[in-house]
Amino acid sequence: MTGTALQNKAKPLLDGTLQLEVTSVSAQTDSITSITFGGALGELLPSYVPGSHLVVQYGTGANAYSLTGSGSAPTEYSISVLRIENGAGGSLAMHALCVGDLVQVSHPRSAFAPAATASHHLLIAAGIGITPVLSHARYAAEWGASASLIYVHRPGTGAHVAEARQLLGPGLTECLDRSSFQEVLTRQLTTQQLGTHLYVCGPNAFMDSVLKQARDLGWPKSLLHSEAFSGAALDDGEPFEVRLARSKVTLNVPAGVSLLGTLENAGLTVPNMCRKGICGECAVPVLRGEPLHRDLYLTDQEKDDNTTMMCCVSRSLGQELELDL
Amino acid sequence: MRTASQSPATGAGCEPGFRGVICVSFATTDALQDHDTGGMPRHDLRFAAATPEAIANLRSVLGHSRVGVRVVLAGPPADVHAAASVAAECGLVDEEMTLVCDEVGPRVIFCGHCHTSTTTDHPIGTNVDCQGCGTTLIFTDHFSRRVGGYLGFSAHAEEAA
Repeated sequence: MTGTALQNKAKPLLDGTLQLEVTSVSAQTDSITSITFGGALGELLPSYVPGSHLVVQYGTGANAYSLTGSGSAPTEYSISVLRIENGAGGSLAMHALCVGDLVQVSHPRSAFAPAATASHHLLIAAGIGITPVLSHARYAAEWGASASLIYVHRPGTGAHVAEARQLLGPGLTECLDRSSFQEVLTRQLTTQQLGTHLYVCGPNAFMDSVLKQARDLGWPKSLLHSEAFSGAALDDGEPFEVRLARSKVTLNVPAGVSLLGTLENAGLTVPNMCRKGICGECAVPVLRGEPLHRDLYLTDQEKDDNTTMMCCVSRSLGQELELDL
Repeated sequence: MRTASQSPATGAGCEPGFRGVICVSFATTDALQDHDTGGMPRHDLRFAAATPEAIANLRSVLGHSRVGVRVVLAGPPADVHAAASVAAECGLVDEEMTLVCDEVGPRVIFCGHCHTSTTTDHPIGTNVDCQGCGTTLIFTDHFSRRVGGYLGFSAHAEEAA
């Protein structure tokens, strides 16, 4: 995950933090750099599920980045970061890191785990989307699980290409342009043995296209997994009223201001991180009313239940919403 | 075991890479006669019961199928559940399976002591003797989709020996 910047002033770090040292920095390509963090004594770090990400603090912000290792008994955490010149600053801060620098990072967080029951793992990555998928590939190689990878990258700009080749051998299909990818994708989506799970990471439009084609070809939702690295583009939304049942206050949420922002302005502390509907930290309990769910975190079932909402991006379908706050 | 008239009796009988609807009927059910496949190609299988041969045949058909396939199982509950259990083992998830059980039919009781399955017509809450270890089993509506049967456990376990 990249680009989930935080603009909070005072930022409480979430789910425990680790202070780690940068142990190596190496350029993957002109714009992608791999950075490795380790403990001062080279000690064992918390293990993680493949596809997990790490939240790394920089200056006044924090960004989430996919871990590229397999996750079992790690002594190092590795991330690969694409430099984005006009982003929120996280990628530039990561690219400025040097060996020996100290960083605060979260514990690894899992949101893109492999299915234990899969008979085969079909991995699909575009560009920097290779990072969580590489973690899956390493895990599959370590545990002898069946896996294949379609990797779309422009010639000379692909990160981790050599590792992908080594890990997957003939199971790797590299596509250097969209039309050859389309051909490979259609073939692979129609020839997978039963029990195959599909995992995709890349730009939103790329993932949407892959997932739509899979569904159109009869893939059930429970076999499809995706890892977003930026939230959906959202409009300002309609204004609504929110009643806080326990605080006994009613607040107005104007168009263009998030529910989270409104709660914070009223002096409430709501745990949050990405503020883009991805991380799931800012869940609030709904007592009454129907939320307009716009996040990528809750499952369809959870959205239908209307008992929880992500207050950073979601709003209200009706004029009033009541929360258990 | 016999295959339905729609498909030649060729063992696996299904073209490799099949991604249509596999309609499996057990015993005398005609529930799938007019089953709507939504325009997808249809492959029919009919078995007298979920015998080891029938299950092997189903496994082979599923092995030749590819993601996108749908399976519809119809007939007596015991046979349908046995087939559903095998389909799940082959990697099919709930969304890919439709079960059409007859209203009534024998139940499979899975012995929690020796793991033998015993088929019975007794209603839920009654006793049955295990065909494997002879223990008198009581069973409730505790059903396992994985083993395709109801849990049976010793009816007199707490009585003084």
